[in-house]
Amino acid sequence: MDLQLGEPQETELNMTPMIDIVFQLIIFFLLSLKFKTIDRRIESMMPKDRGPNPAPSILEEEDKIKVKLFRRGIADRERAFTLLKIDNAAQYPLPKGWKGRLKETPDRIERYDATVAAVKRAIEDRIAAYGGITDQIVGEIVAPPPRGGSVPHGDAVAVLNAFMEAGITNVKFEGTPTPLTSSERAARAAR
Amino acid sequence: MLFRRLRDRLVQEPEAGSMNLTPMIDMTFLLVVFFMLTIDLSTKEFFPVDLPFASEGIPDEEVDGVPRRLVVNLDSAGTIHFKNHAFELASADPGTQDDALLAFRDALRSVHGADPVLRDPTGASNVPVLIHADREAKWKYVQWLMGACATNKIYQLQFAVKKPSDPEGR
Repeated sequence: MDLQLGEPQETELNMTPMIDIVFQLIIFFLLSLKFKTIDRRIESMMPKDRGPNPAPSILEEEDKIKVKLFRRGIADRERAFTLLKIDNAAQYPLPKGWKGRLKETPDRIERYDATVAAVKRAIEDRIAAYGGITDQIVGEIVAPPPRGGSVPHGDAVAVLNAFMEAGITNVKFEGTPTPLTSSERAARAAR
Repeated sequence: MLFRRLRDRLVQEPEAGSMNLTPMIDMTFLLVVFFMLTIDLSTKEFFPVDLPFASEGIPDEEVDGVPRRLVVNLDSAGTIHFKNHAFELASADPGTQDDALLAFRDALRSVHGADPVLRDPTGASNVPVLIHADREAKWKYVQWLMGACATNKIYQLQFAVKKPSDPEGR
């Protein structure tokens, strides 16, 4: 009896599904790839003897330069602007309807930068009046509630940056009260 | 007969129009390996925001290659994004705002906890919080966020900023 041996089959690997999967992996990695997210940061240390959870300490008298930030024209977002006051004297209005550096025209960006530069010069004048030793001077950024709370974060950082450029690194923020006081919070919880 | 079949198999005529896929597959695998090695999923903790500008910001470099910090995002609408949770501070009702703030404070506490490794002998945190806030976010929300950090004895803060000369800035 003859033994029938079949033709030897050539086994070929189907590469198509593997290539599909590999391309999908590449697309996933391409979409999720991000080399760097933030470039720079400002280091800050909050005081332990103030704020919501203070540790006891002796508060000393210091030379202060206070910059107050007011938000004006809140009703119309297109015309709202931030007004800066230094030691309740000189006033520096930032451009109205400021939509942020990325969305503004070059002339408005110039006006914004010129205003912040003027604030820096005014801070430097105050430093000179105090004797020029920046280590002994405390900067304060105050945004009086309720409208001061609506000042954009970018404007507050611009003032903080002006202090730092002038050489003052000890800068305090006067806090906006929390939405509810502790007693209001307790009363709400009891209800 | 058997020899002819074997010869035919060994000496195959090249088929017209077939493409050699081997180099392409090699390159594709190399690309996959490259992306796998360079991907950093930790950057996903940054919510897309427009950062404020500051010339005095220092370059954001990791200490010893290990970014030991907590990232708190605040978008322009006033929503805190932290560890895949959102806390909406923008509300007309102070009670709702307070609830969101307390929820964020508790979330911060649950992540940071009372781990003695993360705190110094006085109980203050050794781990800084990076405030990654939009430049148009209201300043009071940033202050509330800072207050929540202080309540958890986190005193080291960092503000994410951009250089004014950044090409995107002009």
